[in-house]
This record gives sequence, C-alpha cells and structure tokens, in this order.
Amino acid sequence: MFRIRFHGRGGQGIKTASQILGSAFFRSGFEVQDAPRYGAERRGAPIFAYVRADRSPIHERGVILRPDLVVVADESLVPIPAAGVLQGVTSNTLLLVNSPQTPELWQQRLKLGAPVLCLPVESEGEDRAGLPHIGATCAGAAARLVGVVARESLVQAVEDELAKLGADELEFNLDHALAAFDAFSRHAGRVQEGAAIEAGGYARPEWIDLEPDAALFAAPDVEGAATSEGAKTGLWRTLRPVIDYERCNRCSWICSTLCPDGAIRVEADHTPRVDYDHCKGCMVCVAVCPPHAIAAVSEAGARAEESPA
Amino acid sequence: MSAETRFGRMKDLPSTHLLGTGTAMCAGCGGLEALHEIYDVLGARSVFVNAAGCMTLLSVYPFTPFRGSWLYTSMASAPAGAQGVRDALDLLLARGALPPEEDLQVVTLTGDGAAYGMGLSATSSAIERGLDFLYICYDNEGYGNTGQQTSAATPHGARTATAVGGHVGWKKDLFAIWCAHRPAYAATVIGAEPLDLARKIEKAMKLKGPRLILALAPCPTGWGYEPRDTVEVGRLAVKSGVFPLKEYEDGRVTHTKPPHPRAPVKDYLRLQGRFAHLFEPKRDEATIAEIQAAVDRYWEGAG
Ligand SMILES: Cc1ncc(C[n+]2csc(CCOP(=O)(O)OP(=O)(O)O)c2C)c(N)n1
Ligand code: SF4
Ligand code: SF4
Ligand code: SF4
Ligand SMILES: [Mg+2]
Repeated sequence: MFRIRFHGRGGQGIKTASQILGSAFFRSGFEVQDAPRYGAERRGAPIFAYVRADRSPIHERGVILRPDLVVVADESLVPIPAAGVLQGVTSNTLLLVNSPQTPELWQQRLKLGAPVLCLPVESEGEDRAGLPHIGATCAGAAARLVGVVARESLVQAVEDELAKLGADELEFNLDHALAAFDAFSRHAGRVQEGAAIEAGGYARPEWIDLEPDAALFAAPDVEGAATSEGAKTGLWRTLRPVIDYERCNRCSWICSTLCPDGAIRVEADHTPRVDYDHCKGCMVCVAVCPPHAIAAVSEAGARAEESPA
Repeated sequence: MSAETRFGRMKDLPSTHLLGTGTAMCAGCGGLEALHEIYDVLGARSVFVNAAGCMTLLSVYPFTPFRGSWLYTSMASAPAGAQGVRDALDLLLARGALPPEEDLQVVTLTGDGAAYGMGLSATSSAIERGLDFLYICYDNEGYGNTGQQTSAATPHGARTATAVGGHVGWKKDLFAIWCAHRPAYAATVIGAEPLDLARKIEKAMKLKGPRLILALAPCPTGWGYEPRDTVEVGRLAVKSGVFPLKEYEDGRVTHTKPPHPRAPVKDYLRLQGRFAHLFEPKRDEATIAEIQAAVDRYWEGAG
C-alpha cells in the first residue's frame, strides 16, 4: 500500500493536491482514500492531507502515521513540531520539500537517514501563502515519484478535480502538475511501497484509569478567561511585521486598535509591542501605520536569523 | 458628537485588549477587528449567544477568547437563546440569587446569513417582546464559513460560490427592518472607524431593550482581496457611501459620518476579487453605473 502525506498551509491547495493524486491513482486502477486534516481551514494555517492507495480494498483508517512519501509545500513548516511534518518518518520514507536548499543540506539538518528531494522552486514571492499552483505541482511530482501513475492518468485526474474552476485555471494547474511530473522522471518509482500493517502491529493505547471528577476539576477551562491564547496562531504567519521604533511616533495606537487579532499591546509609555506568538501576519498594521514605521519581512528569513542553525 | 462620550479622540480608545488572541478567524478578518473593538468597550460582564457561522469557531472547547460565558445555538435561533439567558438572569435577580451588580449584558452574535435570513423571524419576535439584548451582526455579505455562498446581504454584482456570474439581486436593508420595529437603538459600525464604533457601543450599553449593532465585516477570504487591505476596503466602503454609518434613536435616523465628497463606488469595487468580473476582461459599465445610481439615490433620500 502507498501512504502519502502532503503538508502545507491553508491557501496552498494541499487538499486539492491529495484529491488530484487520489484520482490519478484511481484512474490507474487503485483503490484510494484521500482526506484533508485541518484545525481551522484558514489561509496560512498549517494543514495536511493524505492519500492511501492499494490494489485491494483498504481497511486502514485515520491519519497516516507511517508515510512512504511526505510532500512539504512550505519548507518553513518542517521545524515546527505542531505541524507534524516529520511524524512517523523513517529511513524508508522519501521526503520531497519545496525548498531552495539542496537535498544534502536537508539530510544533514534532519539526521533521519531519510532520502530527500527538493522541488525546483521558481521565482517565488515573499508570501508563501500566495503560491496558487503549488498544490498541483506537489501532486504532479508525487504522481511521478510513486512510479505507478501514467502521465495520461494525471492529466485526467487534474481535469476531474479542477475543470469546475474554468479553462484558464485548469490549464494553469495542469501545466504545473505536468512540469513537476516530467521534472522527476529520473526519480520515478523512488517511493518504497509500505507493507500492510497488521492489527497487532499497532501500539496499544496506554489507558489510565481515573475516578470521574467534578466538571470544575475535570474541565477547569470551562471557567477560564481568554484561554484561546493557548493556541499559537503565530504559526500561520509567512510574513512578519517589524516595528522600527526610531520611526514609530507613539501615535494613538492605530496599529493596536486596527490589528484584527488584538495582537499589538501598547505599553504604559505608549510603545507598541507585537505579540509574535499570536500575530497571524495579515499586514494590516503595516498598511495603516501613518509614519510607515512597520515593515513586512519574510518570516522564514527572520526565524533563520534568530536561531542560526 | 455629544459631550456624553468618553471617546473624544483616538487616544481615548482602550490601549489594552480584552478579547483573547489565538482565535481561528482568518488573518485580516474584518469581523474579528470589529468584535475586538466592540468587546473592549462592552467589557467582560457579558454573555454571548452565537449562531452557527465563522465566529462559532471562536469558542471551541477548551479555547475561548471571551472572559465570560458563551452559548452556541442553531443558525435560526440565537435571539431565542438570548431570551432564555435573559429570563434565567432575571429569575436569579428576582430571587436575590444574583446581586444586581453581577447582572450581565446578553449579546447575540451572528453573521448576516442568520441576521438577514434564517434568524430574522426569531429576531422580529424578540424585538416585539422588547427583549433586553444587544444583537451584533458581523456582515461579511455571504455564508462565509461554508465557502461564501449568496446570502440576503450579498450586494448586487458580487460573485459568490452560488452566483458565479455576479449576484443579480440587491442587498436587503436590515437596518431599516430593525427600525420599522421601533427598537431601543440601532447602529451601523465598521472596524475601520473605531472611534465612531466605540461611541455607538457606549451609547447602546446605556440603553435597555432590543439594540442592533450592524458591523460591515470586510472578509479577505470571501471578498477576494489581500488580508492587509481590510482597513482600506472598510474605509472605502464608508467614503464611497456604499456603507452609511448611522444610528437610530427615538424614532430618528442620524448619519454619523456622511462622506463629503463621496468617492466613486468603482474605487471600492475594484479592490475586491468578487467584483473583478465588472472590470476584466471587459468593463461592465452598465452594472457599475447601476450600483453607483443606487448609492446616489440613497444619499439623495438621506438629504
Ligand atoms: C439550518 C442550518 N443550515 C445550514 C447550516 C450550515 N452553515 C453553518 S455556518 C453557515 C453560514 C452562515 O453564514 P453567516 O450567518 O453569514 O455567517 P458567516 O459564516 O458568514 O460568518 C451555514 C450555512 C447550519 N449550521 N444550519
Ligand atoms: S501605528 Fe505606527 S506610529 Fe502608531 S503606534 Fe503603531 S507603529 Fe507606532
Ligand atoms: S500583522 Fe499586524 S495587524 Fe496582522 S495580526 Fe500581526 S500584528 Fe496584527
Ligand atoms: S471567512 Fe471572512 S468572516 Fe469568516 S473568518 Fe475568514 S475573513 Fe473572517
Ligand atoms: Mg456571513
């Protein structure tokens, strides 16, 4: 059975990528499951989708924990534990990363012994959430790497899934899917098909017996205030707002009031501070600051500077 | 603006925020922008009754951005839920089980799909009964949470998931429908005009009975523009006269920020993907003129 997981951000067409690959397998005579998984279906938020394909009926259910191929549309997700990109990756798993870095560098960084390939990145904008074709590119590359999908089946699959978007969109996505399919001809069949997993092979859940508590103790957050702050929506960000304190004139907190998320706090001396754990990177503050004191910088670049590997 | 307001200028607006961060609303959500500005003024002594829509995702256990209680209802019945909560509070007050200073503002929070359509019957009867509640509608002009299908609030010409060639109907006038019920108060607000918004929430809080806060909610996801432009889109909605900022009190409607001069509506439309078909590949002058004429007619009538 083939088990493939796609990782990306809301808006990159990750769900569509899994649908295209699923249909391409189906058109090639396979039994198929494909399913997206997301917390909030929001632009920029980490999401993943997965595909199972086999020649006989599939009885496995749920999220793929032992993938044969992991496709990463946005390299900035790899080091984020909450995105779960590396979950279940072993030396038998092929990793395909959309990245300007070399595969060798990724192998050194990850130290997993897993083979790595990189998608040739074309002139990419600053904002990774705005890569409309990356889903189709990922699907095309994955279809070639599994080695059992014919070019014609991929064409049909893209048409199955995207014809509803109109001729222009279809052609645009088809071009990108086929370009990726062709670019990986040298690596056709690199994915090692995983063995069937027996029920006995699953780790047993570790049960802990607990006496039922009163709701106040068992579910204390029912009475908690502003517990949403536990969700680190800073992970959604592909661009980072950076305040130039030389230029900021401590105006009447325009950025802080207009930030949709209330992610800018103003200190007693009127200095605004961005809460990077929660700022989603919408760039509203950048657009509204009267003296243009806030700059939009690439999040991946900013993070790399903070912690040089 | 009257001397009774504590919001004379921008510096009077709260500089710390009450609504929690970390919500599941999209980056750049205009509805969330309005809600956090409203909540700053409203305060934590409130209970929210929320009908199905994008903002249902605000409170998914164990996470909530609110500092008080939150109740989820089906799309059509948030005002009925508010009635239940109000009645329960009143009973506790009457029995002396709740000290008067611990009373709560009952707030209904819904999208336009619920406010203009599915929930309108429940709203009408709640106003009729004189229910003491504040109804906040964040109007993103469509069924946002399910992929921006047409709602009764979708404006003429806008493309939605169910109106691929542009909506042929016209936006329903919910503000007028509320006013026809003679409520205690009704106002339109937008997150991009925070001072006007704060003054209206301040005023609404001093009144009792049915009160409407209708917030236009620019929606990058459903309207098709870059999240950074949420405030620009909102300001143009006001400047072009497409979205009049106004309030209803004692049987009279007052415009709080009439635009002088009005920007052409095409400046507002052009920023948004949902109107792109009016400009490309061929300019649809007839539809643009129709939309402009409707706005002009409104302001002529407004005198
Ligand atoms: C009776 C009913 N029909 C359909 C739905 C599915 N549904 C959930 S949210 C939603 C859209 C609501 O639109 P709106 O009130 O404008 O809120 P928004 O999603 O735009 O925030 C719909 C149709 C539902 N929950 N209940
Ligand atoms: S809007 Fe600009 S000038 Fe005003 S406080 Fe924010 S960063 Fe400073
Ligand atoms: S980019 Fe600016 S406005 Fe947007 S969430 Fe971050 S701090 Fe707020
Ligand atoms: S779809 Fe629109 S209204 Fe809903 S959360 Fe996203 S931006 Fe806000
Ligand atoms: Mg809506």
